[in-house]
Amino acid sequence: MSSKRRIAATVVVLVAIIGVFVVRLVDIQVVRADTLSADSLGNRSVERTVYGSRGEILDANGVVMAGTVMRYDVALSPKNATTFTRTVDDVDTTITVADAAAEIGAVIGQSPEKVVALIKESLADDPKSDYAVVAKKIDVDAFRALDALDIPWLYLYQNPGRVYPNGAVAGNIVGFVSSAGEAQAGLEVGQDACLASHNGSETYERGADGVRLPQSTVTTEAASDGSDVITTIDSDLQFFVQKVLAEQAQKTGAAWGNVIVQEVKTGKLVAVADYPSVDPNDVSATTNPDDRGSRAFTASYEPGSTFKALTAASVLDAGVATPESQVVAPYRYLPENGANINDSSMHDDLRLTLSGVLIESSNTGTSLFGERLTDQQRYDYMTKFGVGTETESGFPGEDPGILHPAEKWDNQTQYATMFGQGLTTTALQVSSIYQTIANGGVRMPVQLVSGCRTPDGTLTDVPAAEGTQVVSAEAARDTADILEMVYQKAWLADTWEIPGYRAAAKTGTAQMPDGNGGYSKGYLVSVSGFAPADDPQYVVSVSLADPVNMNSSAAPAPVFQEVMSQVLKKYRAVPSGAAAPDLPGTW
Amino acid sequence: MSDNLARVLTTETLRPEFTERTGADERRHIEIVSPSTHTRPRVVYALSAVACVGAVIVAQLLLSVGISQGAYEISALRASQVELGRTADSVSEDLIRVSSPQSLAANAEALGMVSNSTPAYLQLSDGAVLGAPTSASGGAAGAAGLVPNALLAGVPLVTQLPAGGQGTSVASGAPAAGTAPAAVTVADGLPSPTTR
Repeated sequence: MSSKRRIAATVVVLVAIIGVFVVRLVDIQVVRADTLSADSLGNRSVERTVYGSRGEILDANGVVMAGTVMRYDVALSPKNATTFTRTVDDVDTTITVADAAAEIGAVIGQSPEKVVALIKESLADDPKSDYAVVAKKIDVDAFRALDALDIPWLYLYQNPGRVYPNGAVAGNIVGFVSSAGEAQAGLEVGQDACLASHNGSETYERGADGVRLPQSTVTTEAASDGSDVITTIDSDLQFFVQKVLAEQAQKTGAAWGNVIVQEVKTGKLVAVADYPSVDPNDVSATTNPDDRGSRAFTASYEPGSTFKALTAASVLDAGVATPESQVVAPYRYLPENGANINDSSMHDDLRLTLSGVLIESSNTGTSLFGERLTDQQRYDYMTKFGVGTETESGFPGEDPGILHPAEKWDNQTQYATMFGQGLTTTALQVSSIYQTIANGGVRMPVQLVSGCRTPDGTLTDVPAAEGTQVVSAEAARDTADILEMVYQKAWLADTWEIPGYRAAAKTGTAQMPDGNGGYSKGYLVSVSGFAPADDPQYVVSVSLADPVNMNSSAAPAPVFQEVMSQVLKKYRAVPSGAAAPDLPGTW
Repeated sequence: MSDNLARVLTTETLRPEFTERTGADERRHIEIVSPSTHTRPRVVYALSAVACVGAVIVAQLLLSVGISQGAYEISALRASQVELGRTADSVSEDLIRVSSPQSLAANAEALGMVSNSTPAYLQLSDGAVLGAPTSASGGAAGAAGLVPNALLAGVPLVTQLPAGGQGTSVASGAPAAGTAPAAVTVADGLPSPTTR
């Protein structure tokens, strides 16, 4: 055997071995490189969701009405649920499944049997079951208690939750989110674009003992927090108003009701109370889905006599009447066009001024004034007052109400629209009409949200605050004076009196639709007004639907009195000094 | 060292060739080659290189020990930050809950307070009384319940707190029953609302 052949053989063997290694190397480093490195990373790296927190809904003073809190979901692994050993202070204790179930149950407020049953059921469905939810949205204290139990087959997950610290206060306005965090109602929906947050994720590598390796954190997707919605609501006043409304609604047996408090000078809604009101923390406690929204925004009805203030302002602005203009108001009025108008109770012919027509709330008298304008003129005034279009509040699902074009009014509607029938308005639109009259004829956009505050503090989406002159300042002043006469002289004068203050108000009693095109026996009774009459600051508008125990506007009057007193007190309105005007009602 | 050995071998293998070809140069070759003078500096170099490598390794080791020590520290601090954050969230949640209008109204009523619906003011400049003062009529007790707040379930009123100068931290909502944080002891005692 020559050395040459030996060398040759060696070289061949070496090349073969190296070849094997090269093939293997290429296979690992090139062919399967991605899979393998992903596998290896998976063994060390952990992906984590970084939660962006949904923005808060704040009241005008910064009180949190809706906020985001971290909650925790509890799940267990049924297939791994076995007896384990717990070591506390070097003492080993054997914990059986039943023991563990009792411990878990005590923390989350469930019976141990239920926890054990959950494990059994999950295993019966799928013997390899690795995931069964025990409880959702437990708070930090419960989370810590469970974490301390150190049960190897129990897992805790973060799950951000929504909390409404003030409960039902403004619940109908704020709205609520589903358990999955999706906006369901109210401002949560209407302002979702502002509030919405974005969850991000990060990965990091960790050692065998679970410690995060330095410099290994990679943000794969940045989380972003939502912006805060700042409303114009005053939560303290809102609470008071809701309480007063609920008391009276229960006393009078009303089906539902609402109260609106609006700032005259700015059009801001200070309180919008609904009864029944929903507690967003416990939505299911409110069984009727209609009670979960805000009827002040979403329910329109025939306003009735509160609308006569608009007719009065229109004729005054057009210059076809003054507060002292005189008419003879019969019980029944049969105009030439074939309509048939009558007052609510039988009476002889009354010699009334325009002021007197509103004091007596005479339909025939209102018709005699209203017909001095053409239908189109009155239609134009109504639209300028905001009737027939949803307000600027931005509340989701707001009802625009029904206002047919003037040329479509039939004979009866031509007259009915003068005293608030044949058209529908929301409580908010009525409030806005009174705001316009109180504010020297300048209608301010209805404001519920004063802006969206981004996390860096800048305020965006600030609503326009430009008013529109609907009627002249003189016409508005005259209408306000007439309404003050109504407040002083109408049959409810003693009920709604606020000592020390001059106020202006008008009642309304309107038949409610029965849902089949006709009228039901129930009435929607309301009072709208403003105070102090000498320098109007706040509009209060109260509506009660079908108060079976007191089916007249005497039902909302005490609410108006209490709410208006509280508003004047809270905002330190100066008690009226000058004497009220005295306009003759009769002649 | 192996380098040194190779040199020696080279000279030995070269020598016969040189003897055969140029016998006269043989003596000169023996005199010139001085392996010892070449060997000594190479050992020093090698040693210093090894020492350097060793130093680098040791330094790296110390550095990584330091970093991983830091990692544990960061990890511990991070964990305590998370825990403290949870505590802060939890107590501020309690605070917001008890400062809700329902809670305040219920507590005020429990203490015997009533609201007056007739505002009146005393003007300091001239002592004039603005408005028409009347005494408060007293609202219906429990009226706060008309505006529900599920978060307040199980939260005691001030009048229901145990007397004896102990403020009890608010028990958390229903799911956390039984796991409320332990009572906070106040050194001098909070004034207990026993008088009206």
